[in-house]
Amino acid sequence: MSAPTDPCAPLLARAEALLEDLSLHGVAAWKAAHGGAPAIGIMPVFAPRPLFEAIGVLPVNIYGGGDRVDVIKGDAYYQSYICHIPRSTIEMGLGGQLDALDGMVFPSTCDVIRNLSGMWRMLFPQKYSAYLDLPQTFEAPLGGLFYRHELSRIAAELVARGARPLDADRLREAIIVENRRRALLADLASLRAREPWRLKASEAYLLTRAGAVLPCAEHIELLEAFLAAAPERPVRAYDNVRVIVLGAFCEQPPIGLIRTLERSGCDLVDDDFQLGLCAIDGAIPLDEDVGDQSPLDTHDPLDALVLSYTLRGQATATRYIADGVKGEALVNRVRTLGAEGVILAAPSFCDPALLDQPMIEQALNDAGIPFTSFKYAENSAQFQTIREQAGAFSDSVKLWGAA
Amino acid sequence: MREHLTLGIDVGSAAVKAAVVRSRAGDDATVLGTSIQRIRRRELREVIEAAIAEATGGRIANEDFDYVATTGEADAVEFRTGHFYTITAHARGALHFDREAAGALDVGSLHARAIRLDPRGKVTGQRMTSQCASGSGQFLENIARYLGVPIEDVGELSRSARTPEMVSGICAVLAETDVINMVSRGISTADILKGIHLSIAGRLVQLVRAIGIEGRVVVTGGLATDTGLLTALQECAEGGGARKRPGKAVNVQFVTHPDGVLAGALGAALLGAYRHRQLEESGRLAMLMGGAEVGG
Repeated sequence: MSAPTDPCAPLLARAEALLEDLSLHGVAAWKAAHGGAPAIGIMPVFAPRPLFEAIGVLPVNIYGGGDRVDVIKGDAYYQSYICHIPRSTIEMGLGGQLDALDGMVFPSTCDVIRNLSGMWRMLFPQKYSAYLDLPQTFEAPLGGLFYRHELSRIAAELVARGARPLDADRLREAIIVENRRRALLADLASLRAREPWRLKASEAYLLTRAGAVLPCAEHIELLEAFLAAAPERPVRAYDNVRVIVLGAFCEQPPIGLIRTLERSGCDLVDDDFQLGLCAIDGAIPLDEDVGDQSPLDTHDPLDALVLSYTLRGQATATRYIADGVKGEALVNRVRTLGAEGVILAAPSFCDPALLDQPMIEQALNDAGIPFTSFKYAENSAQFQTIREQAGAFSDSVKLWGAA
Repeated sequence: MREHLTLGIDVGSAAVKAAVVRSRAGDDATVLGTSIQRIRRRELREVIEAAIAEATGGRIANEDFDYVATTGEADAVEFRTGHFYTITAHARGALHFDREAAGALDVGSLHARAIRLDPRGKVTGQRMTSQCASGSGQFLENIARYLGVPIEDVGELSRSARTPEMVSGICAVLAETDVINMVSRGISTADILKGIHLSIAGRLVQLVRAIGIEGRVVVTGGLATDTGLLTALQECAEGGGARKRPGKAVNVQFVTHPDGVLAGALGAALLGAYRHRQLEESGRLAMLMGGAEVGG
């Protein structure tokens, strides 16, 4: 008797092909199909995609070269104690793999990304390059207005380079579509937390990561198709430990690492691998009543975009907020999802992620939640040690309820 | 407490081991059947099926087990209930062989691991050989083949050595070169084998020392029944062994069991029973079994 076929397999294969398309052939095809409309790369962690879609620009999230780019030139630009993602991004830029892009936006993620933005300006003077200063003050009259100005500036600069003028109706439409996508991503997360054997973390990663290079509407089609087919998947539940993985920040773990964690007896019921996706909690509050946020108003789509960031930002490593808030948020997530432990997996030399870890560990210790931690690089190829560690951790939690 | 019928499957790099155990949550265990199937060039699924068929005597269906526990590279065992990591399974297996065990030394085909455990069998520390193959069973098997000695004769032949010749303990490639030189110099097979055993044992005792095990250490895995290695381990533990560079003594007694090679499979089966009771008590068993075969 032949094994039952997985109706989701073609969708996952497509998502994996998008992940592996480091030369952005799909983006080039989109541009060709849209009369040469611009495509702009966005470095982690966060920039609001609807702003770009509203002006006819394809936003492309750039996550470095992963484990498939041999970094030679990129190493010349950074000292040895700097994370890997800027090196591989430079390598890809110099190697022509990012030629399909008309420019890059560098959100204020950390000093390394800030330096990268400066290098980009010098290395590719003919391309658009912008630094997006995300506010760390979240009151509407201060950080809100500042952020609005930043978004308007970038839109205007792109319009000057051939994008469509920013129009309130088109932005409204883009936000509605984005909110639909966000709702589907929430459904995906919910399915994974409920039935992690039906949607593995590595599969969820591929599906969400596809949204880095696809227009929002196409990503929605992919997510809808998966969610519709998921109930028919031939799956099997295993006696695994429910674990949350945290700490990825902007440098992504290789997909092999995620699969290694799965193979070590863990159901990864939640993660923050693509931190920008969870930078905002819930929908963009278009036309919603969110209390007095003057001078901003959710009936203005640009204001709504701003308020989604200032009001609904999640307690992640990208935010400079009071001690204890992030730990408390994680403990609440653990409780809500019924997780039995936490794996803290941070990129080597990632200051923002690693600086948060002591507070996170303190919160987990105080709450009696078992955890283990390790570091990785996007080009890690050997996972044996991590498998040993994760396997020992999952067994300890499963059998003895402690790490 | 009711009895649990569990199956443990240990998929190693050279062999698949299976054990059928009846126990009360892992205690009062009776081993009903076992199997060791060399993989050689066979398809892995076929080997696993053969191991299960031999261990069960063909009388127990997969669905009749309360828990099917795997360890090792067990992705191919799709009907498993759960998976335990190698060191966890070997720790439990060691405790099954010797209730006083303070540690286990799993010497397999590709890796060796020293495991420190508490009286429950919980792993409290572990250390594994790193990249080199010279501490592994595969290396010893290769050397035995080069020397024309059946693997089952290696232990006793090694024990008959009078003046063992040390080989490189660092690198399998260098060690093999050492062996070729020894053969050309007319060194006896027994002395060569003893030298290899001492070389491996020296590395393994370092692992045991590194994680601070004291007391009885059960040797498990593919080399568990190699009497030559066991003798060499004890000699190294007592500070002897390596003739040129004697190591510091460690307070351990290496012991073994005729079924030591089955420690992973037995340990997995016993942990499966323990886990089954946990799941029953927590009310999660129904959910797990309810979702065991859905969709499609």
